[in-house]
Amino acid sequence: MGKLALTSLAVAVLVLTGCSQKSPEVDMTKSTADTQSSVDDGMSALQKLIASLEANSKTIYFDFDKYNVRKDQQANIDANAALFNSTEAKNFSIKVEGNCDEFGTDEYNYALGLKRAKSVKDGLVAKGMNADRLTVVSYGESNPAVSEHNKDAWAKNRRAEFKVLP
Amino acid sequence: MIKKMICLVLFTLFSYASDATVEIVKKIDVLPKIAVQDASPKNVDLGARQSFFKLLVGDLRVSSHFQVLDEYLQSSYEGGPLENFLSDKRVDLILRFSLNQDFNTMSATVKFINAKTGATTFEKAYSLSDKKRHPFLAHKIIVDINDNIGAPSIKWMEQSVLFARYIGAKKSEIVISDYTLSYQKIIVAGGLNIFPKWANSEQNAFYYTSYNGAEPTIYRYDLKTGARRSIISSSGMIVCSDVSQDGNKLLLTMAPKDQTDIYLYDLRSKKITKITEYSGIDVNGNFIDNDRRIAFVSDRLGNPDIFAQGIYDKSFEKLVYHGKNKNSISTFDNYIVYSSREAESEFGRNTFNLYLISTQTDYLRQLTATGENLYPRFANDSDTIMFIKQFGNQSALGIIRLNANKTYHFQLKTGKLQSIDW
Repeated sequence: MGKLALTSLAVAVLVLTGCSQKSPEVDMTKSTADTQSSVDDGMSALQKLIASLEANSKTIYFDFDKYNVRKDQQANIDANAALFNSTEAKNFSIKVEGNCDEFGTDEYNYALGLKRAKSVKDGLVAKGMNADRLTVVSYGESNPAVSEHNKDAWAKNRRAEFKVLP
Repeated sequence: MIKKMICLVLFTLFSYASDATVEIVKKIDVLPKIAVQDASPKNVDLGARQSFFKLLVGDLRVSSHFQVLDEYLQSSYEGGPLENFLSDKRVDLILRFSLNQDFNTMSATVKFINAKTGATTFEKAYSLSDKKRHPFLAHKIIVDINDNIGAPSIKWMEQSVLFARYIGAKKSEIVISDYTLSYQKIIVAGGLNIFPKWANSEQNAFYYTSYNGAEPTIYRYDLKTGARRSIISSSGMIVCSDVSQDGNKLLLTMAPKDQTDIYLYDLRSKKITKITEYSGIDVNGNFIDNDRRIAFVSDRLGNPDIFAQGIYDKSFEKLVYHGKNKNSISTFDNYIVYSSREAESEFGRNTFNLYLISTQTDYLRQLTATGENLYPRFANDSDTIMFIKQFGNQSALGIIRLNANKTYHFQLKTGKLQSIDW
């Protein structure tokens, strides 16, 4: 296809920032429960078990713009399958959360995160987990593990993590 | 009517943060030179008057239809021989405003004067019941005087912008603003709420994705009534990518079986039709060709690319043959604007540029040169595009005026832009 008419743009800058109004019309926290577990002394035995399982699960890391499980991450898949199939964990459901680095802010990044979660789910199923116990969700770039802007941080953010659900 | 002459002009080159731009020598029209005068009563707060002056001057500049005198000038409202001609400033036009405000309301009277004759060609009074919305008043004034000189419409300035911004991990807000971000009102807060999309051209309702329930869910929020209702949920992810012209159908990206594909959702019958079928990534469906076909992003040929197919026809075609990694598109009539990743590197910041193509010809135009330029969206015309400019953890709204070949940035003070619509 065609000619590339490279028409560059003169960039004029206008910076007009304003103060935001603080009171929202809809506060989603008032109508929905916060499902995140918290770690404090008031935890029930069930909450402590869930927190322990989540802490012992292994984060799966991915290459830039990829969603296949790397060879060096397969041992972590195996370890997670063993953990989640253990007697302590076998009655819980597991939510696999796919995450991305900061590049791209659109639907593609969320879909990439979902494909990462799906690859991990498939890996766990291949290691004997019941697929019915596994759900996947993508948080795209919204949930960075590390907030710095360098290659190490980006590599740590391209990951899948696990939430244990009663 | 202002006479225009043609000459060669070297565009002034501005710089902003790391956004280096390219130099251009181009043939353009000589634009009428305009001054803005503040004729407000002295008891009106000077800060408010000067802020309003800056909004008017900014709008005039972004219109790309005027040369704007930046100097803050004061005058009487009626004006005298000196004030109506401003001979020493060598201007063609004068926009004079008189502002009044009380606790909640604001009013303005404006005069538009031909500085060559001293004659008033336009005069109008405006009022605003909520003075926090005064940026929209400034935009309306400039739209009116732009119409008065017969320049191409800039009515897009009156559109409200809807955006989501990240304010923390899994935390975001949905905000309504004007295009300069001078006015902002948080509409949805608490948890992760993303991908807001206007429900209709009247901009009285919008859809968005909430991650605060058991599954990602699309809600519709009615701005008139404040009512919110759940539309549809999906495991994995769900996004309302586009709304049909009649407002009755949605293009959704969702993954009910862990696999992202594009679906058509009929709001009246609640019928869901699966449009795309591919084991990789299909996202970002946009209606084209009078809502009979869609353009979308897919990695079905290895890298994210732009394709089109009929809603009820599974055969697809590749729409763009330039570049190899496109990840976001927007359509208007026969035009598609897309973001393309130019450098693929996991070791440094990536470059994303915007391109404009026609679905009817081989027309292709590069719109940005450097940095991360993402999420392009057409205004309600084919001459103006809004996009997200990212700078590390900060971001700005970008406005591209295609015919004028100019780009403007408006920095977001709090948070990082996730998505925009207008």
